[in-house]
Amino acid sequence: MKRKIGELILIIFFYLLQVTLGRVIAIGGIKPNLLIILPVLFGFLHGKNEGMYVGFFAGFFYDLFFSGLFGFTSLVFVYIGYCSGIFYQKYEETEMLIPLGLLLAGDFCFGFLSYVGNFLLHNRLNAMYYISRFILPEVVYTLLIAVILYKPVTFLNKHLNPTDKRRISKVD
Amino acid sequence: MRKKLASFMNSKYILIGLSALCLLFIATSFFTDKLTTPLRNAISTVVIPVQRGMNYIGLWISDKYDTLQEISTVLEENKDLQAKVDDLTEENNQLKQDSYELDRLRDLYELDEKYPGYNKVAARVVGTTSGNWYSTFTIDKGSNDGIEKDMNVIAGGGLVGIITEVGPNYAQIKTVIEDNSYVSGMLIDTGDTCIVKGDIELMDTGLIHLSGFANSVTVRNGDKIVTSNISDKYLPGILIGYTKDVTADANNLTQAGYLVPAVDFGHLQEVLIITQKKNS
Repeated sequence: MKRKIGELILIIFFYLLQVTLGRVIAIGGIKPNLLIILPVLFGFLHGKNEGMYVGFFAGFFYDLFFSGLFGFTSLVFVYIGYCSGIFYQKYEETEMLIPLGLLLAGDFCFGFLSYVGNFLLHNRLNAMYYISRFILPEVVYTLLIAVILYKPVTFLNKHLNPTDKRRISKVD
Repeated sequence: MRKKLASFMNSKYILIGLSALCLLFIATSFFTDKLTTPLRNAISTVVIPVQRGMNYIGLWISDKYDTLQEISTVLEENKDLQAKVDDLTEENNQLKQDSYELDRLRDLYELDEKYPGYNKVAARVVGTTSGNWYSTFTIDKGSNDGIEKDMNVIAGGGLVGIITEVGPNYAQIKTVIEDNSYVSGMLIDTGDTCIVKGDIELMDTGLIHLSGFANSVTVRNGDKIVTSNISDKYLPGILIGYTKDVTADANNLTQAGYLVPAVDFGHLQEVLIITQKKNS
């Protein structure tokens, strides 16, 4: 329970960073997507259920103050958290490239789905422009931020849960 | 083995459950916002005050950062003035912040004079959308301060947009540069109507689309476009921007071109909301 509340506070904190400081740190009008980092990292560090839980609430906040379709981001983030959780049993947390690869794929898929929903269906067929001007810069910027945030988040993850099941099962 | 299978099934069930929940949210928000409005209101009471504070910190940091950059160039040029610079830095920071604020407030005041007929409420911009696709702003005034949906928002000499959503202590502005925004405008001198339309693909140029002029109308670069009197949501006579490169369309019946918005959307910090609505 303590863990869930801790994660929820972390999500709200990231959300606040995203909507307030996002404007200040934007490069060329592109903000990094801080909220997508959480389901990927928690899925990788603590399993599918955790990834889905974090993904659901991160997506919930992402959509909250936007008057589009409410729940779409949650849906995508839940699946991203689940996919990330598949790798939980197989890799150690020192293998940083795995979550970064997952993040790359996840953010790109999310960006592309947003493009399809918001623009392609409104007859904006210039997909290369949207990919090169919005989706890829966001992916790169998000990856950069994730590299910086990886250590603090793993530390927090350990701190929230002193008995990590994966480490124990590795011993026997 | 059984335990492993159980946990596997478990997470699958959770996945299906959460997907169903999300789909339910999507389906309901497609038709009505009855479900999301109470959620937003509940969370906004906690989040908006914090957001206000953090937004202030963010602006403070960027102000500080700018000031520090200026100081480093001065140091390179005048090494012998180092001591004096240090002394003045702190005072300088504070005065600068004050004067920025003073300038902004003065601009707002001038704008207030320009549209004297309308009652206005000033508000601070405290946030943007999470994603990069839209540039919707969140402000720190809501229904508690008399803000209602469809009120017009102005700043820095021109039209910013319109209120699309209101909570007790926050409201959201849909800006005229957004991709799904359409505003009916007219030439200020002749009253010929046109359509002002946001476009995300023009984001880097800072322009938006202008279309629908009749072919007989003469439009020069820099002509003022204001909101038209046939619009059903925008009050007439608010400056939207200046025309640019208006040429005849291929059909030779209409003319289209670009519009330079009067508002600097990149650095929007304070806005004025006109509390009078068009249809009332």
